[in-house]
Amino acid sequence: MSTWSDLKNNHRLKEIYEQRIKIVKSIREFFWSNNFVETETPVAVRYASQEPYLNPIPAAIHDTRSTIYKMYLRTSPEYALKKLLAAGFEKIFEIGKCFRDFESFGGNHNTEFTMLEWYRAPGTYQEIMDDTEKLFKYVSESLKIEDLRFKDYKIKVNQTWDRMTMKEVWQKYVGVNLDEYLKIERLKDLVSERGYQVETEDMYEDLFFKLFLNEIEPKLGLERPIFVYNYPAEMSSLSRLCDHDSRYAERFELYIGGLEVANAFGELTDADEQLHRLTKDQELRSKLRKEIWPVDPDFIAALRSGIGSAGLPADLSAEALAKVGALAKAGGIALGVDRMILLFTGAKDINEVMFNSVNDQLTTNN
Amino acid sequence: MASTSDIRKGAVIRHQNDLYAVVESQHVNPGKGAAFVRTRMKHLASGKVIEITYKTSETVDIVSVQWQTMQFLYKTGENFAFMNMSNYEQIEMNGDLIGDETKYLKEGIDVVIGLYEDRPVSIQLPKKIQYKVVEAPPAVKGDTAAGNVTKEVTLDNGLKIQAPIFIKEGEEVLVNTETGEYSARA
Repeated sequence: MSTWSDLKNNHRLKEIYEQRIKIVKSIREFFWSNNFVETETPVAVRYASQEPYLNPIPAAIHDTRSTIYKMYLRTSPEYALKKLLAAGFEKIFEIGKCFRDFESFGGNHNTEFTMLEWYRAPGTYQEIMDDTEKLFKYVSESLKIEDLRFKDYKIKVNQTWDRMTMKEVWQKYVGVNLDEYLKIERLKDLVSERGYQVETEDMYEDLFFKLFLNEIEPKLGLERPIFVYNYPAEMSSLSRLCDHDSRYAERFELYIGGLEVANAFGELTDADEQLHRLTKDQELRSKLRKEIWPVDPDFIAALRSGIGSAGLPADLSAEALAKVGALAKAGGIALGVDRMILLFTGAKDINEVMFNSVNDQLTTNN
Repeated sequence: MASTSDIRKGAVIRHQNDLYAVVESQHVNPGKGAAFVRTRMKHLASGKVIEITYKTSETVDIVSVQWQTMQFLYKTGENFAFMNMSNYEQIEMNGDLIGDETKYLKEGIDVVIGLYEDRPVSIQLPKKIQYKVVEAPPAVKGDTAAGNVTKEVTLDNGLKIQAPIFIKEGEEVLVNTETGEYSARA
């Protein structure tokens, strides 16, 4: 709850809201001082993202002749920001509102929330990990808040953060070699052996998370924040495959006190492969009987024009480009700002860090 | 069998042949995949709390609980007595089962009790409860300037909360039972 009357009467909530404003200011300072360009991209978009399990909120707009155009409120600014990378911007960030329908009104979710995304092209997901750690340390320093708090956990910001591969965390917490469970059949057996329900329609990712959410996630980042990286290739729709092991993809997530705070990719910059994967996502949406829309053609065109190779001569041959492969890489991340604020303020619920959250509006004065 | 959308605070789940009362449930969307429900639940026999995360399409064995509004009467040793005002039947519920929420109970308030086979298994408190302030240190000049904007006050059931400095003895206040904080003057 953070309505005007809560902020007036509850000192703790007022302080959380004041901290929120300072944290957002401090995030901006961090990126500006590291030479990132702050961008503004549309909240209402013609083509929403294709993630099969996200539900964009439809929005109808009209021109002067009352012609109706169907748009959506963005679930993430990802496509727009990558288009800016294609335009030649090399280091960009955006803090903005995103919307996801059919989410819970509180807890760790809200229909409307604040997302921070940043990208480096050229850049790698390791650099994005470094940025993330530095960002938290910068905010901690500027607000003089040393500990992140979630549930009963207290995690010191200013220490060396953990970095482990997904394979390592499975070995540590489940005691199995993930290499052997990269195929759905084997994973099905493992999940069922350990006492979880296996449903016929379960996909690889569902089975993976049945185990991960029960046995691994609650233990992640309890003493120090942890980056878990290199996800099974099966679960990474916008990320590139690892150079040395194509069974895994360049994706990482940040966990603090068992809470997922950010999701990042070594970005897939191959237009054909991207189109192929998004079309598959779209097919899954259709199978799940969800609304479907075309894959944003302009996003594919932007990738086709090249990302992360800015500054290279336009007539470079494919071979030469391959030689400077590192330069054609891009890295990017989406970080939930409200969750970050929750950690810095020790708030009990995401609704406490937002003014007039959906829940507040629906339950106040009626 | 029920679906995970029926999981809510107070619901009673049969898990591996034991009964558990849901303490808290949270939606989790791991990365970009399907949604899950993280459920914290209390073992009714031992009071031990466990956490299980279900995919939203899984089936859950939710036992049918009869919800009944009852009035809190008094505390007797470890137990708390409630009365069904429609038939004047009385039941007693163990304090461990109610947990931390016992501190909000005040004689005469209505609560909702979940009964399974006539046995009380869970309790739902009103979101806000009204109390009378029985003890409040007077505000001292200069408090606000010193940054002391709240003070500890004692309520008529013995609960102590932080309230704004202007609250006086004898006033009625509303307390949020989810956070244990002062909400407003009643």
